[in-house]
Amino acid sequence: MTFDFTVVTANAHLLWQGFLITLYYTVITIAAGLLIGLVIGLILLSPFRPLVWLGRVYVEFFRNIPLLVIVLWTYYALPIFSGVNITKGWAGFLALSFYVGSFYAEILRAGVQSIDPGQTDASTALGMSYGQRMRRIILPQAFRRMVPPLAGQSIIQMKNTTLLSMITVPDLLYQGSYISCFTYRPIEIYTAIGLIFVIILVESRNGHGTRKGNTQAPRHLPALRQGRGAAWRRSFRRPG
Amino acid sequence: MLRGVDLSVAQGEVVVIIGGSGSGKTSLLRCINLLNTPSSGSIVIDSETLFDVDRNGTDRAGLKSAQINRIRAQTGMVFQQFNLFPHMTALQNVMEAPVTVKRQNKQDVEKQARELLGQMGLEQHVDKRPAQLSGGQQQRVAIARALAMEPKVMLFDEPTSALDPELVGEVLKAMVALARSGMTMVVVTHELGFALEIADRVIFIDQGLIAADGPPQQVLLHPEHLRLKQFVGRFHETADLLRPFLEGKARHHELRSME
Repeated sequence: MTFDFTVVTANAHLLWQGFLITLYYTVITIAAGLLIGLVIGLILLSPFRPLVWLGRVYVEFFRNIPLLVIVLWTYYALPIFSGVNITKGWAGFLALSFYVGSFYAEILRAGVQSIDPGQTDASTALGMSYGQRMRRIILPQAFRRMVPPLAGQSIIQMKNTTLLSMITVPDLLYQGSYISCFTYRPIEIYTAIGLIFVIILVESRNGHGTRKGNTQAPRHLPALRQGRGAAWRRSFRRPG
Repeated sequence: MLRGVDLSVAQGEVVVIIGGSGSGKTSLLRCINLLNTPSSGSIVIDSETLFDVDRNGTDRAGLKSAQINRIRAQTGMVFQQFNLFPHMTALQNVMEAPVTVKRQNKQDVEKQARELLGQMGLEQHVDKRPAQLSGGQQQRVAIARALAMEPKVMLFDEPTSALDPELVGEVLKAMVALARSGMTMVVVTHELGFALEIADRVIFIDQGLIAADGPPQQVLLHPEHLRLKQFVGRFHETADLLRPFLEGKARHHELRSME
């Protein structure tokens, strides 16, 4: 058996279109998921029991149902139950956002609860309200601890966007299966798609330097030391 | 567990609370600014009622959390573990509450914060983070942070218990200066020497009740209550054991220079 990787370069424009779709859904579902995660996470942390209970139901619901089921259900079943017709793009967006939001919410909850209760004591004793404590004292510290798990979940999220191909959103994987339909070269195509994911995700991780214990590039690589990672980390410091 | 405590502290008075572990002395302190919520009773600071719940659990004060926060801001608290905000510099720690809670002008607050840190002998360290400071320095930043809110009363919860022995002196010194400036203070501490030196009143808490209340000489040197005798006795025993050693070192000890 011989491999012919020219099918990849010959159909690069299709893969590129698919890649842009994948990137698009990765970015918008992570952004929406972070927003959902923030809201649900704060609900999980609220002192009102019934609210916490609702938050838990949300989290357990979306965390424990396979994403593929959520995606298919949102696209095929939700319109029947609700009577509202939604496009595949909206269905995919909603399913992916609500799914990753449940994980982000748990990351936020765990991050906040890992902060020493003494911080709450001190800020409360100074007369700060719940909102002021969260905004000024607890969340800035919790966010720093949340970066590694958030990055990990976001990597999984990018890979999860491939499930959109099941509802015919033309993402990278969908384009791949389309190309292999007329080239009869699935091995080459899927290998290339796998490599694209590896390259993008490894690159994004290196660029941000969020790996534990390796936040500082080695001395002999000054280019990396001054790279995006440093600027990104600086952006977390409070000005003034 | 407190089981009914009546305590009133006059303006400018320095009250030291002593007692064994689990006796309720920290609970009492944390009830004063409602960090712990009592099951019933009342708390009044400067004739403002902060808390008033009768034995049936009826809330007679009915304060909203915003009102509680406002009254709370008039009390300053210093913790055993310092509890500085680690993501802020010493200066930012001190400025945080006046800017966020009182919405005061940032320039004025910074000037006042630098002054307070200066009084604590920390001019060199204003731009350092808590992690870059020693325990004694951190605790002095914490005192400055509480003072920045211009509190009517300062609450100290074992402020020197987490410190290395050689750093205790610098914190006690700052507290002595504060007491002499006329600040009302309620101090939970194991530093009986400090209590003897500066307290107007010493209160001994045992099993959730005030077991002794009086001038420091009377409570610490001539204890009548049996449990207090045992408690103070242990202190005297340790002091006796350590005396030859302490006297040798005393010349260098900062406590001596306080007077």
